[in-house]
Amino acid sequence: MLGALLYLRFTSLKNLLLSRVRRLRQPKYLVAAIVGAAYFYLMFFRRMARGHNPTAPQIMGPAAQMVPHDIAPLMLALGALALLVVIIFMWILPSQKPGLAFSEAETAFLFPAPVTRRALIHYKLLSSQLSVLLQSLFFSLIFNSRGLASNRAGHVLVGWWLILTLVNLHYMGSSLTLARLIERGVSVGRRRLVVLGSILIVLVTTIGWTWRSVHAPSAADLAGAEPLMRWLLSALDGGLLHWVLFPFKLILAPFFATDVREFLIALIPAFLLLAAHYFWVLHMEVSFEEASIAQAERRSARRASIRSGNYRIGRTASKARRPAFALASAGKPEIAFLWKNLLSTRSFFTVRNWFICAGIVILGSRIVSGFGKPQQAALSAIGIGVTLLNLYVLAFGPLIARLDLRADLANADVLKTYPLAGWRIVLGELLAPVTILTGIIWLGLLTSICAIQSTLPLPNWLAPDLRMSYALCFAALTPPLVALQLLVPNAAAIVFPAWFQATRTRGGGIDLTGQRLIFVFGQIFIILVALIPAALTAAILIFVTQWLIGLMLATIFATLVILLVIVGEVWCGLWWLGGRFERFDLSAEQRP
Amino acid sequence: MIEVTGLTKRYGEFTAVHDLSFTVRPGEVLGLVGPNGAGKTTTLRSIGGIIPPSAGSVRIAGHDIATDPVSAKRALAFFPDEPRLFEYLTIRQHLAFVARIYGVAHHETIAQPLLEELEIADKADELPGALSRGMKQKLAIACGLLHGPSVMFFDEPLTGLDPLGIRRMKDSILKRAQSGAAVVLSSHLLHLLEEVCSHVLILKRGEKIADGTITEVAARFSNGDPDVNLEEVFIRATGGSEN
Repeated sequence: MLGALLYLRFTSLKNLLLSRVRRLRQPKYLVAAIVGAAYFYLMFFRRMARGHNPTAPQIMGPAAQMVPHDIAPLMLALGALALLVVIIFMWILPSQKPGLAFSEAETAFLFPAPVTRRALIHYKLLSSQLSVLLQSLFFSLIFNSRGLASNRAGHVLVGWWLILTLVNLHYMGSSLTLARLIERGVSVGRRRLVVLGSILIVLVTTIGWTWRSVHAPSAADLAGAEPLMRWLLSALDGGLLHWVLFPFKLILAPFFATDVREFLIALIPAFLLLAAHYFWVLHMEVSFEEASIAQAERRSARRASIRSGNYRIGRTASKARRPAFALASAGKPEIAFLWKNLLSTRSFFTVRNWFICAGIVILGSRIVSGFGKPQQAALSAIGIGVTLLNLYVLAFGPLIARLDLRADLANADVLKTYPLAGWRIVLGELLAPVTILTGIIWLGLLTSICAIQSTLPLPNWLAPDLRMSYALCFAALTPPLVALQLLVPNAAAIVFPAWFQATRTRGGGIDLTGQRLIFVFGQIFIILVALIPAALTAAILIFVTQWLIGLMLATIFATLVILLVIVGEVWCGLWWLGGRFERFDLSAEQRP
Repeated sequence: MIEVTGLTKRYGEFTAVHDLSFTVRPGEVLGLVGPNGAGKTTTLRSIGGIIPPSAGSVRIAGHDIATDPVSAKRALAFFPDEPRLFEYLTIRQHLAFVARIYGVAHHETIAQPLLEELEIADKADELPGALSRGMKQKLAIACGLLHGPSVMFFDEPLTGLDPLGIRRMKDSILKRAQSGAAVVLSSHLLHLLEEVCSHVLILKRGEKIADGTITEVAARFSNGDPDVNLEEVFIRATGGSEN
């Protein structure tokens, strides 16, 4: 029976790999795969190759000594502590997913089939090994790529495999144990009380014991890295904590083994620990079928949602909201999209709330600035922080606020039946994120204006009246700048819908990594290209005209010119993207 | 009026619809039938302006959908097999949104009777998440009918409806056709087509096998048998298989 189940797993894997390879016949996937492969080579494999080459410059010493002997015990103890924390979190904050997760097809085919429960568990355990092996390789590449190129490659790979297998098995065991408690009628509250209480008792006892047995770090302990490490090791390796961390050290020991003999000896207790976990999972008499079916259905619905273009994963509307404004039957149809998309945002994005926040900022800064110089300085620091935050919002906000075409791709069929030119649909879809981000940035600007005080001697070009004019110019430029930024990811969603959808889903693969990289660098490149003409024009205008009309008027004049350039670019972008949307055919992209 | 001439839709080397021509006059209901993968949905999506055809022309109410899509779309309504709704908008908000898009003045006076006809007036302030599959379908229909379209496309309109819903849907289609709308619907339910359609077009592998009134098509494949039904006609016309 297990043979048939493994056939299912390996055939699925083989077909997945084949379909990925066949996909490379399409240039866009081939290019992405090349970019992804180049990234992996430059980030990981080149380091491995350097570790393998004895003549290449070494950053951390010879490859054979990736873990120096003097810090290996401390790293072992710290690693064990990290594992302990992970395990504690599995019990304190259990995942909603069942311990044994089956796909919808697996629940449909396997649950009604004459397959024993034991076979199902074995199947799941062996299936999970595939991802554990891949993760082991991935983690080794990321954290120990030079070790992989040395004679410690086996230690590194097996070490990561042991760690990840233990975490995986413990996750299954803890989930099944918690499910069993529920099955036996233990309420969630009582279960939490028992789990938290037990963990708390162990933690308090351990910390108390350690507190008594380990002295506080003296000045000598803090004198350098070496004495500090020695003190840390004595704290982690002494008293009760030594025994609490002991099982985790057993799992980590092969990773830190210095030679083959030590490695092989360390494997014995590690495997015994895994075997104990295996028997724990296998003999946990609890029904996992119902939870698996529910989870499989949720996952399937989520995948279908992503495939159809709906990226609002995990967010489902449960309560109708009041619209931000009343929508009249007559008027510009673009406003209908603004009205609709504002309904899908958080309820605090309202004009009233904006004015309340603005009032608090103005009043608060007035009150605080009246207290004295230290408070004014603190307020200025806040103002500078908010200014930096504003720049962050301007740069990354359009990538995060997806209340536009990206969120509505699932309804592209409906949108395309509307009697509207493509550019009007695109413009309408962009209005909500432009409005929200502009509101946030304007609020930030107001905060900066109110908070930054002239307590320090500043150059003339940062005089208060000039600062105000800069802020107002920036405020005027904000909506078109945000719109320009939004056009790029929206264009990506329309021009490369299959890529865009793929990058929104979880999962790996060299080509997918390449696609994500191309998207990120593409966005940066296009924005830079779009902004360079405006920035150059502004710089030249300010430089030339400030001698004639003064810096303030020169700035305002340059802003008006920039505004024209950016609005022109946005308009061209809308026109072009609208045309692309009219010709948009998602079905063609989704065909294999 | 729907006029389709030489419609072709290709995906790379694969031709989904090949050189399809037909006309649907006001008051006529054309049933698109064919085996799975025959190109019914692709045809509907192409003539509805959702996907661009590779070749051919489509005129809706006298407007070419390629060169004057806005005017053509103003006259049509497309009802997909799966209702596509905005999950954050209530029924009432859906209608307000659609009214603004189509410029339907005083839409409340049209929307309320429509909701009552479709029996979802009492759910007007509910989100789609709180509606059953059938009610979602009804909401999609209400949105499509709000602007009084003269051309309607239905893709598998009875999917997910209960028997009463099926009856009402059939009545609704016939009522719109009788008031002068040109209707195209695709369905695998041949008894629906027999009851609702005045004309039928049989597709197989993207090509037209037969079209005309149901009587004409039946006569062509009856081999002299006077009692032949549409199911038998379909099997004979398509050769009894998808390929």
